[in-house]
Amino acid sequence: MGALPFLSLLLLIPVGGALAVWLWPQPARVRIVAAAAMGAELLVAIALVGCFDRSDPGFQHVERGPWIPSLNIEFLVGVDGISLLFLPLTVLLFIGVIVASWNFRRALPRLYYSLLLLQLAATIGVYCALDTLLFFLFWELSLLPLYFLVSLWGVGPNRRFAAAKYTLIMLASGVPLLFGFVTLAFNHAQVSGAALPGGLAFDLPTLLATPVSGSLQLIVFLLLLAGFAAKTPVFPLHTWLPALAMEGPVGVSALLVGLKLGVYGLIRFAVPLAPDIARELHWLLAGLGTVGILYGAVTALVQTNLRRMLAYAGLSHVGLVLLGIASFSIQGIEGALMQTLNFVLVAGGLFLLTGFLYRRTGSTDTVSLGGAIHSMPRLGGLFLLFLLAAIGVPGTSGFPAEFLLIVATLNSHTGAGLAALFGAVIGAGYALGMYRRIFLGPQTNPAVAQAHDLRPAEFGLALCYATVIVTIGFWPSLVLDLIAPAAKLWAGRVG
Amino acid sequence: MTIESLVGLVPVAPLLAALMIAAIRLFDRSLSDAAERPTAAVATAGVAVSLLLLLILDAATLLQQLPDRVRLGIWLASGRFEVALSFALDTLSLSLGSLIALLCFLSLRFSVNNMHREAGFHRFFFALSLFAAGMLLIVLAGNAALSFIGWELAGVSSYMLIGYSQERAVATENAVRAFVTNRIGDAGFLVGIAASFQWIGALEWHRIGSGAAGLDTLSAGLIALGFVTAAAAKSAQVPFAPWVARALEGPTPSSAVFYGSLMIHAGVYLLIRLAPLLGHSGTAMALIVLLGVATALYGWLAGLVQTDVKSALSFATTAQVGLMFVECGLGWFDLAAWHLGLHASWRAYQFLAAPSYLQLVDGPARPVPHWLGKRRWLYTAALQRGWLEPAGDWLLLRPTRGLGRDMNAFDNQVVDRFIGIAEPARSLGTAAPVQAESGAVSRGYGSAGQLLEIVAAQLARFEAHLLLQGAGGTLRSTLAHTGDYLRAVEALLERPRYLLLLIMATFAVIL
Repeated sequence: MGALPFLSLLLLIPVGGALAVWLWPQPARVRIVAAAAMGAELLVAIALVGCFDRSDPGFQHVERGPWIPSLNIEFLVGVDGISLLFLPLTVLLFIGVIVASWNFRRALPRLYYSLLLLQLAATIGVYCALDTLLFFLFWELSLLPLYFLVSLWGVGPNRRFAAAKYTLIMLASGVPLLFGFVTLAFNHAQVSGAALPGGLAFDLPTLLATPVSGSLQLIVFLLLLAGFAAKTPVFPLHTWLPALAMEGPVGVSALLVGLKLGVYGLIRFAVPLAPDIARELHWLLAGLGTVGILYGAVTALVQTNLRRMLAYAGLSHVGLVLLGIASFSIQGIEGALMQTLNFVLVAGGLFLLTGFLYRRTGSTDTVSLGGAIHSMPRLGGLFLLFLLAAIGVPGTSGFPAEFLLIVATLNSHTGAGLAALFGAVIGAGYALGMYRRIFLGPQTNPAVAQAHDLRPAEFGLALCYATVIVTIGFWPSLVLDLIAPAAKLWAGRVG
Repeated sequence: MTIESLVGLVPVAPLLAALMIAAIRLFDRSLSDAAERPTAAVATAGVAVSLLLLLILDAATLLQQLPDRVRLGIWLASGRFEVALSFALDTLSLSLGSLIALLCFLSLRFSVNNMHREAGFHRFFFALSLFAAGMLLIVLAGNAALSFIGWELAGVSSYMLIGYSQERAVATENAVRAFVTNRIGDAGFLVGIAASFQWIGALEWHRIGSGAAGLDTLSAGLIALGFVTAAAAKSAQVPFAPWVARALEGPTPSSAVFYGSLMIHAGVYLLIRLAPLLGHSGTAMALIVLLGVATALYGWLAGLVQTDVKSALSFATTAQVGLMFVECGLGWFDLAAWHLGLHASWRAYQFLAAPSYLQLVDGPARPVPHWLGKRRWLYTAALQRGWLEPAGDWLLLRPTRGLGRDMNAFDNQVVDRFIGIAEPARSLGTAAPVQAESGAVSRGYGSAGQLLEIVAAQLARFEAHLLLQGAGGTLRSTLAHTGDYLRAVEALLERPRYLLLLIMATFAVIL
């Protein structure tokens, strides 16, 4: 099914947009080109969701073409219930970044918008690549635009350091990833008994069907885990997150916090490709998750800057997702996927709103803010909604996700589950405590008193996110029905 | 469509009203008198619809005996775990539901005049509608998960109303504290839900009740413990009691329905609902009695020394709710239900009339009873409200914050340097990673870089020093350094918070 090559379109539209940005005659107007490309991308992504066959647990809209035939490396893309919803949400988040940079005059607008579009293409590629080396290519490609976006347009004085730190950590973690994929390819050649270049296999469906011996699984799992851990992020490889949150440009940090590519990689590659060892090493995943929850939550509690607090809160939330994966139950994986989807809009949205606040007041520090809701009621009101979604309050999309995760975790790792509950209690403390210091209380800073509320475009964007968040919160089966068949297959394979 | 399925609309009506108010206010920010009218009308209409539906259901129950439960579909399904849209229509749920709808309706109507031209008029009606929806969901839900949704919605709306005066630091801090305390109870509720799913395999209230018979005492006790924690936190029983005194920052009508009459009784409702389960766990029952007695004493004693009408009423409420817990713990669930209904109605009236008391009651406030005035330590304890709050701070809040500060320093000083390039602004000048030694080979960043650097430097030193000079001097200084580090670690471990952390970690591993 699917007469249109949706996925190729999704990959080509942003690349085409990035080219068009350079061909457009007026450099000041290129933002319109970028916005148009993003809009078209969103329509295609929504159409893809509409054409998705929700009864089929396997890969759909698969497109296959030769890439490096001598090594059996193919251009192979497809989506299933696990990756499908990431596509429209990612585009929505990128549109948010465009809105956040709309009225901001910056140097080199052409470069900025084309990098943003290339980043989108690479991210979409990560979500739909089914060939391990193609995935690796997109994975590494997604670093490059980000490095320049942060180091050229970052807001902090240490933006170059932050960008270099991020890129170095990610490049270093890419090495084990590549080794892991190559090991699997050689294993396939050995199992199938074919001659070396011909017997190599890099496409995911073949690799999933190839048996891997126990000791090899251990190596592969650890390599892939090491590769994905930094981007997840996992303690102690999380330090790039608060740094980039502080230094990165207003919109772009939303991408880093909102898109949990590492978690996706774990769910898509690391666990299914080494299922037996992953199950045996459940304590490792659960331990990493527990440490992340507690470390992130407790550290977030004492932050005095909203952006740093959000970064540590992200670390804490990802910990819970890891616990859900470590439970290897259907509730755990569905909760983990829902929560990761939820992050895109909630964590991303929080960062965008923080950016709007920063744009208006020049600070996100508790010392120089306070009482912001009096001059910016819409910003404050929507921020509270997003914050409540982040701590999993019913009526928001965070609740069904966190509910499933905690139930699954309490049943599989009771001690870790109790730690997660502790994290949830502290979570309310740091989130609302920070909200109180930034938005409530008396106004002390004249910049806050004079700040204007959200502009129509910003307001419309935040309202759009809020609508999605609330709709899924009241009607979670909208998402769960799409995820469920693939999640069942996943849980059946590893559980 | 049968008449009993109307129950599904009961919590939805105020919820829709809340959403409508939010939507209207997002686009229309005027604070004129004219803007107040639609908000008030929507909120009142929402609760009125609920009340009407409940009255229809009450009448239908009296006339033709409706089924005890209805199931309207599935809200969330994941593998074996499913949350049904099921509602309870037994006498407990219907009578309490009707009472809640009536009291919410009356206090909403009261607030239309009472809150006129207040800055947060619309916020108030939004939160109160949300609260009505949550509260109705708690008592009408047929399963634990749906009840939990109402439970948390009530908590969120209470946060919004305690922090109603957004510009006052005290009010907003109290709101956060009340919400976090409530969150502890929510965690207990989640433990109860997860344990029920694990051991009974269902979340429906009646299945939890009937399934408890087949459980051993320990499992039943653990499920009960989770729910009892939730009930104690929501009903402000003793370890959690202080939040309700802080919650009085909100406007009077909301105090009336939240802490005077409705939300504070949610815990008692939960216990009555779980009566069949609690019957299987003697320990849980004993715990409930203990909590109830302690709370009743606490509320009574602290209530004697209050000098403002709202606090006095609030402590009286706490004491009464403590008595209800005692009744539940002794197995007199019917008595507790009657007590609940009557107390809720009376207290709502008292709270709403509280501002007028100032005019009605002539003369000075009643002095402290003579016997209490004589016993100085008891008097101090009453004034300090049993030191519950400082104790909680000292036991939980301070260690957690201290841990947070340590972790933050650790993150900046150790992890950040270990992983990679520490940002120049935050790295300390005193601890520059590389001294400009003549022997230094090159400069590396991060753990990998420094590892390389160290290996290179060590090899160079090995050649230059050790081979030529022998081990003595270098070894001693290395040992001295190690000793310093160990002493620092030991000093940290002696702090109580790390002891606590170690104990917690041990528990996590054992479980």
